Amino acid sequence: MFGEIRFPGQHDDEQVILFLRRHWFIFLRRLIFVIFSIIGLVLIYFFFDLLSSNFLRSDYYNLLLFVESLGTLFIWNLFFILWIDFYLDAWIVTNERIINISQKGFFNRDISELKLTKIQDVTSEIVGVIPTILGYGNIYVQTAAEVERFTFYQIPNPNEVKNTIVQLQEKERKNEEVEMGQAIRGEL
Amino acid sequence: MSSVITILYSIIVLIFLAFGAAIVFHLLYYKINRHVSGIMSLIFIIGAFLLLISNFILFKQVNWTQIFGIFRL
Repeated sequence: MFGEIRFPGQHDDEQVILFLRRHWFIFLRRLIFVIFSIIGLVLIYFFFDLLSSNFLRSDYYNLLLFVESLGTLFIWNLFFILWIDFYLDAWIVTNERIINISQKGFFNRDISELKLTKIQDVTSEIVGVIPTILGYGNIYVQTAAEVERFTFYQIPNPNEVKNTIVQLQEKERKNEEVEMGQAIRGEL
Repeated sequence: MSSVITILYSIIVLIFLAFGAAIVFHLLYYKINRHVSGIMSLIFIIGAFLLLISNFILFKQVNWTQIFGIFRL
């Protein structure tokens, strides 16, 4: 299912179980600025058009088109900047660990990981009307590792994700116990 | 056309290109899903190229001397 997914430091036999990004509504909310900018450019055009009947034949008409075109250039960039911020923020749950990839603007990227066996407690929360309707929320993973708390922000179906993480953690812990038992008995 | 306006326009274009280069770098360097990164880079580059060309044509069409003539730039 996640065969196309690749991340830095992936082990050869490591399987991606869940690949999570923020809910699409979060991206849509960020897009409102872009949408308002486009509406603003259109309104400015019609404002000047209505202001003077000779405007379309004046020298300032070309200037307006140039400025609007320049605005479009920067809106184009802004859209992709917002998209990159959304796209490169990800949480990956594998059969061995959880990886948190956090992109903060340009050239600021944090990658932290947590072994499933170090998980102590997993909590999911959905707060608010829109998150309840659309089904997105946060997951808090309490750990015994250096980073004490892992947070998945605004991800879709947090309850299902929480259950999957708990199941994986139990499976990994049992595997570890079996391996430890074999080591104690000298089978390994 | 005044050289001051050309220099200012060049600076704006350079800022745009710098942001564009950073966007393409992030899309291609931090690729998590190769297909999505490749397609989005292509869309960005084609769109940016078309917008830049049209912007340059519009820049050339503006009668800068007439508009900013009073400032004697």
